[in-house]
Amino acid sequence: MLEALRAEGITVRFGGVTAVDHVSLTLKDGEILGLIGPNGAGKTTLFNALTGFVPAGEGRITLYGQDVTRDPPYQRTRAGMGRTFQTERPFEELTVLENVLVPAFLKTKGRHEARALALEMLDQVGLADRAEQPALDLNLARRRRLELAKALAVRPRILFLDEIMAGLNPPALREMIGFVAGLRTQGLAIVMVEHIMQAIIELSDHVIVLASGKMIAEGTPQAVTSDDRVIEAYLGTD
Amino acid sequence: MSELVPLLQNISNGLLIGGVYALIGVGLTLVFGVMGTINFAHGDFVVLGMYSAVLFNAVFGWDPYISLLIAVPVGVLVGIAVERGILARIADAPPESAMLATLGISLIIGNGLLLTFGGEPKSVQVSYASSTLPIGPVNISIVLLLAGLATVLVILGLYMLLNRTEIGRAIRGTAENRLGAELVGINTKRIHSIVFGIGVSLAMTAGVTLIPMLFATPSATGAIFTLKAFVVTVLGGLGNIGAAIGGGVLLGLVEVLGASYLDAAYRDAYGLIAFLLILLLRPEGLFGSTVKRV
Amino acid sequence: MIRHFTVLGIAVLAGLAYPHLFPNALTIAISVLLFAGWATSWDILGGWAGQLSLGHAGFVGLGAYFVAIGQSDYGLAPWWAMMLAMIAAAALAFAWGRITFGLRGPYFTLSTIAVAEILRMIAINEGWLTGGATGVFIATLPEPFGIDLFSRVVHFHMALAFSVLTVAIVIIISQSRFGYQLRAVREDESSAMAAGINPVVVKLKAFMLSAALVALGGGIYGIFLSFLEPHILFYLFLSIQIALTAIIGGRGTIWGPSIGALLLIGSGEIFRAAFAQANLLIYGLLILVVILFLPRGIFGEIQRRAVRRRYARSTQG
Repeated sequence: MLEALRAEGITVRFGGVTAVDHVSLTLKDGEILGLIGPNGAGKTTLFNALTGFVPAGEGRITLYGQDVTRDPPYQRTRAGMGRTFQTERPFEELTVLENVLVPAFLKTKGRHEARALALEMLDQVGLADRAEQPALDLNLARRRRLELAKALAVRPRILFLDEIMAGLNPPALREMIGFVAGLRTQGLAIVMVEHIMQAIIELSDHVIVLASGKMIAEGTPQAVTSDDRVIEAYLGTD
Repeated sequence: MSELVPLLQNISNGLLIGGVYALIGVGLTLVFGVMGTINFAHGDFVVLGMYSAVLFNAVFGWDPYISLLIAVPVGVLVGIAVERGILARIADAPPESAMLATLGISLIIGNGLLLTFGGEPKSVQVSYASSTLPIGPVNISIVLLLAGLATVLVILGLYMLLNRTEIGRAIRGTAENRLGAELVGINTKRIHSIVFGIGVSLAMTAGVTLIPMLFATPSATGAIFTLKAFVVTVLGGLGNIGAAIGGGVLLGLVEVLGASYLDAAYRDAYGLIAFLLILLLRPEGLFGSTVKRV
Repeated sequence: MIRHFTVLGIAVLAGLAYPHLFPNALTIAISVLLFAGWATSWDILGGWAGQLSLGHAGFVGLGAYFVAIGQSDYGLAPWWAMMLAMIAAAALAFAWGRITFGLRGPYFTLSTIAVAEILRMIAINEGWLTGGATGVFIATLPEPFGIDLFSRVVHFHMALAFSVLTVAIVIIISQSRFGYQLRAVREDESSAMAAGINPVVVKLKAFMLSAALVALGGGIYGIFLSFLEPHILFYLFLSIQIALTAIIGGRGTIWGPSIGALLLIGSGEIFRAAFAQANLLIYGLLILVVILFLPRGIFGEIQRRAVRRRYARSTQG
């Protein structure tokens, strides 16, 4: 299997605070990597460093062997990354379809092809019937699915999901877990930051646990969740 | 020695004019610092101050500085009314809306003054208009000196208000962290009204101190003062009161020295060029510490 | 898109009929058309890309002065001068945007005022080039195919062609990749970057196109005025007028800026009769009304309702 992502010694500092401290990880095609840790552990910062939204002070990131450490986010997107945002950010003045058209233009030629791709993505996430609705009017669960459609419309090889399960009711959660599992079978590599343990355990091939910016454990979901250091990190910070 | 005297003269003029600029800029920067709103009508409030002095002089024969007794409280009330009536209603809209609203207010004040007073320049003749105070080889204009003195007093007063009073603490708290201020029981909506009132009052005060040396004309002069205020605040650092003083003095020096040693016709351009250079090289301002990138 | 071009076609026909119907009201129609074109061009940057400029009078002045100086000093035909002006405007916009687009908040708007003011001072002070504060006069113009460029009817047709061109460009952009990039950058730069868009490049393109088109209109304005004064052409209030015309009409919409021009310049003439020079009062009052009650502008609110209605109908049917 191809190595999709490799990060070595990623360090991010804000002023005097080290938010992410020498974290390294690798991810192969068709794998799902779960990123967990208590609040303030640096998960989101690491996630943003990997996607380029926060500059990494130290370390090296390669995407399918290509060094993207110094690349801005849009170049990483062009190189094959897709991402969602924790606080969903639809383009509020646009319709649902137009929201997906924006990324759909990246890997297509002309507006007809882009439109076809956008509609296909909406269909995949189950929003096809709402294509003409103003994005502002969508409820939380549908906004999440719109986020996914936007991330998928750039035709990524590796997908970054930032807490897409949070706040969903049980049926919607089941549906979302099933959907992400479906993406893996298409060969996508996925990095997910998640608080919902059920999703992590069911989906992840590999889990990394962060606490105070440091990686304190890694392994299979089962191994990690029974690790003493992890239990201590979660209980100790509360 | 013969070259040194004009230089000293220029520097003293630059410092004094810079003081007036600081007075114009400080109100704009206070409003931006607390409310996050760029007040495009700021210069028009300066012009409103000039006309208030013209009016009181024409009707009662008052010296401009006496009309401050009326202009200062009127400014506070006008500012509070504008904030309550317009800006508070769009507090949740994008910040650009407030900027456009103040642009509208600017056009209304400028054109309202034009309708009321007509287009001819108006001024107040004071007996000390051309008097100077010789200090060594340097002559200092009394009008400029008074304006500089007024600036020092006003800024000192503002400093005391912000740092020594309860309301000042509430204003600083709101500027630093609005949500936090609300959590400790500060009515930040009221603070916004008061701050805008103070801002307008400062602008009108600046206008009054300017009238002995400048003609008041409606509309266009307002925009010029607004632009000067922008330059002062951006030179110093937007939202930082102490820096507005530095920015004002710097603008005064840049203009006077540029006009004397480069080309007098471009007097107004030097400040703008300095402004663009600061935007390019140091967007947080010369004396600011917070970077406003991203 | 076909619908918009149909409307535009009807507008062109109405425009062509106008000089025959109202031969004595050409000047006001030229004003409306020029402002429609300027506001539509401004809107590419200000509305579609969401970058509020209050310096576009600088490009109007650039266009007008290129035509006048080109003609009087170099014997350059106006169409070549306009092309040069468009290139110069785009180049200026490029340099200007490079400096300021990295910054957010009000800095860009402030810088636009500063650059336009500096241009105005150059026009006033460099008398050898621009005729200085007294201005520059266009005494002769070539007669291409026997067309008299001093004729009001010809000015009208040029202004009509200009405004139609700008609207046609915006119609095409609105459906294109570039149009969606613009809207994405306006709505949320982070999300736009996640879609592979470089916001600075998109904003630069918008600024350059907007500037070049405004300069083209400025060239036509120069021919129309035939006597150029820096106080009028680089005036901050002209910049404000252009921006507010688009915003009141409806930012980021195809027809909003033109509707704004029709409403404001049309009623501006009535106001001019009532309030003499204080005619900008109406801009101040209307922008407050729009900000308080119609945040998307007149046409923007109409369009918004149409989108909602269309969706409601589609779910019922």
